[in-house]
Amino acid sequence: MERIVYKHLQETLYYEKLDNGLSVYVLPKEGFQKTYATFSTRYGSVDNRFRVTGQDEHRVPDGIAHFLEHKVFEEPEGDVFLKFSTQGASSNAFTSFDQTTYLFSATEKIEENLETLVNFVQNPYFTDENVEKEKGIIGQEIQMYQDNPDWRVYYGLIEALYSVHPVHIDIAGTIESISEITKETLYACYHTFYHPSNMLLFVVGGVDPEKVIAQVKANQAAKNYGPQAEIERFFDPEPEQVSQERKELNLPVSLPKCLFGFKEAAPKVDGPELVKLDLTTELMLDLLLGSSTPLYQKLYDEALITDGFGGDFRATPEYAFSVIGGDTRDPELLMDRIREESERLSQSGFEAKAFERARKKKIGGYLRMLNSPESIAHEFTRYKFRGGDLFAVLEIYENMTLEEVNARLREHVRWDRRSVSVVKGA
Amino acid sequence: MSMTGFERAAEGRIRIHVLPTKRFKTFAVSLYAGASLQEETVTPIALTPFVLRRGSAAYPETILFRERLEELYGAGFGFDVYKRDGSQIVQFRMDTINDAFVGKEEQLLGNSLAFLGETLTRPALESGVFKSKFVDAERDNVRKKLDAIINNKARYAGARCVEEMFAGESYRLNALGKREALEHLDASSLHESYRKWLSEAVLDLYVVGDTTLAEVQGLVHKHFDIAGPGHSPYEYARSAKSEGVGNPHIVKETMDVSQGKLNIGFKTSIDYADDRYASALVYNGVLGGYPHSKLFQNVREKASLAYYASSQYEPHKAFGTIQSGIEIGNYERALEIIRVQLDAMKAGEITEIELSQTQAMLGNDLREIRDSAFQMIHHDFGGRLSGRERSVSELLEQVESMTAQQVAEAAQNFRLDTIYFLTGKEGE
Repeated sequence: MERIVYKHLQETLYYEKLDNGLSVYVLPKEGFQKTYATFSTRYGSVDNRFRVTGQDEHRVPDGIAHFLEHKVFEEPEGDVFLKFSTQGASSNAFTSFDQTTYLFSATEKIEENLETLVNFVQNPYFTDENVEKEKGIIGQEIQMYQDNPDWRVYYGLIEALYSVHPVHIDIAGTIESISEITKETLYACYHTFYHPSNMLLFVVGGVDPEKVIAQVKANQAAKNYGPQAEIERFFDPEPEQVSQERKELNLPVSLPKCLFGFKEAAPKVDGPELVKLDLTTELMLDLLLGSSTPLYQKLYDEALITDGFGGDFRATPEYAFSVIGGDTRDPELLMDRIREESERLSQSGFEAKAFERARKKKIGGYLRMLNSPESIAHEFTRYKFRGGDLFAVLEIYENMTLEEVNARLREHVRWDRRSVSVVKGA
Repeated sequence: MSMTGFERAAEGRIRIHVLPTKRFKTFAVSLYAGASLQEETVTPIALTPFVLRRGSAAYPETILFRERLEELYGAGFGFDVYKRDGSQIVQFRMDTINDAFVGKEEQLLGNSLAFLGETLTRPALESGVFKSKFVDAERDNVRKKLDAIINNKARYAGARCVEEMFAGESYRLNALGKREALEHLDASSLHESYRKWLSEAVLDLYVVGDTTLAEVQGLVHKHFDIAGPGHSPYEYARSAKSEGVGNPHIVKETMDVSQGKLNIGFKTSIDYADDRYASALVYNGVLGGYPHSKLFQNVREKASLAYYASSQYEPHKAFGTIQSGIEIGNYERALEIIRVQLDAMKAGEITEIELSQTQAMLGNDLREIRDSAFQMIHHDFGGRLSGRERSVSELLEQVESMTAQQVAEAAQNFRLDTIYFLTGKEGE
């Protein structure tokens, strides 16, 4: 067991990589009643073409990672939610582009709940009947998102930006695509991506780290996982240009919703470099259009934006894009204004004082996040799967320079690599 | 010390509640300002915090105001406006990091309370009233927020159901006010309404973090410009509750949606201050609070009719709701399944396992309160609001000793009041 002390954060992290490849992290939080545990696989909606080295290649239906997440909860003796309820734990799961996470939160019976979490995820039970039944439930989930204008405008943007990379496919798939899912395709995905060497367990709360690691070690040793070769994921080359400049849709909304973004070439880096790219770009967006900028105030005074307006950046080694916008009376005018200001700032650069304030704000936000065990577990895993370290973020902010942020503005905000998605009332 | 661990004092009209602890990396600050929920005042009170967050006398332009927050290491600053029983409450929140983590003495708690005090009591003015630039923009902003309710269909259906349930009472009002009343507010009339509100509202200030009651009291004395005697003219009061008549009112509304939203409302006489409060919590948990609950298990898991099917209990106004998103053509079927669950609850058909699962889950929810500064504040404030203080351990004991018989009695006290269905244009 490794013990990593982050003195300035007053946190100590415990880590062990087990023989079967599973990474286990424990962060004790003194005085906390609750324990929060996440069990995650590096597998999400984009992983639709893959093989384990030396085995057959698979191409699987859209939405299968999310479908699998639903089905993993089913055990021969019934739904595992019920078992967690009996043990006083609330459990849940979510699927993103590149990650699926199962979790529980409990204040009692931590040992039993941890055992339940690890065991249910490692015990798939799919039948023709239970797969068919799930199609009705997920069908209603898809319908619910169809009526959600925020979701539709967001996906509209990604579809406009990307033509090949599967990031543009809805995480839940479509009613048609999930109709093709069978227990066989589910097992193929499961056996590839749910091998312990592709997974990470994170436990945070009022726990004894040595006991937790010993428990998981014993649990895994009894399951006799063999080694697994490398997982290869295949992505066809994505053109540098956006797929479509504009996408528009009609839904009942009170004001048009407008999201636009810039597409970058796949960064092809991971680890600290990718984390730095991410944090620098986020800080740049904050300096360009965050709530204390002159631009923000001007847009607000012109009634071109509302409280929800903002921008963020998504990057993995395979794709990188920004998402900017909110509700607006005039999408074109909004983008014109932002364009003028970004072109001006590309020339002049950001002010040093504004940069220092934005850096302080980011550091404060980061430290506040560390109050929440849930956020720590989610963010830590997300960083780790990209080869980064959540607890090194403070240092990255401290070493960031104004020149780097200015450079990101010029590299990222390229109006010939922009798409826009608009949802408005009929 | 109180049952919930908060230490209390008063500074003029401001009641101060402090929980000293080293468990968090931040100071959590909440200020609650409560006033009577009334048709004539709901809109100006709702608009007030939007104008206050645009600037204070010390930071009279919004950019300066927001830059100041960034200098305080991006202190979280926000507010909410909501209704509880007969009151309209404006809650300001600040969440500021403890100086210890930035390695220098910045007096972040003192500076944050100074900021909050300034914002609430010394707003930016021109010619002695609010700046009209701020009032005009925020009136437009609140109007957009009121209009935006239709964007989220589940939330819209929930709000419509509650509006129908309390059609004859002020509780029907949206806490953000009335669209048509906004037009009549200007810088001068809003400023007058603000002064009246501030002079009458009941004020509770909470701080959780590495501090003391004496320190907070000193800071409030220094930074909050609120004159007056030791009591606010307004005080939270518990209204009389009744379980209603049980003759449901059915409302159907059409909109361009692909999924129907079924919302059902119940009235009860069991409110937060009632001795039977814990039985209502358990009732709601068995019916629809959790994935093991009757609604989730029967509507979703057995019949595959919905992605969500749950129930909620609002203890201050004392009512329950059920909500589910279903295929439009499944309205009758879903309603029938829900009726069967409600009848089972009333007949006491609650298995031992349903009861123990609910007790375990509620126990977990209650114990978790201590892990979040804002949840501890929220729990304590619930007691202030209803006049009935309960510690977490007292509630835990009551939940754990609950019998199926007591839960059935609570179920009989929840009477069906309204069935609301948001359906598609083409009908079934």
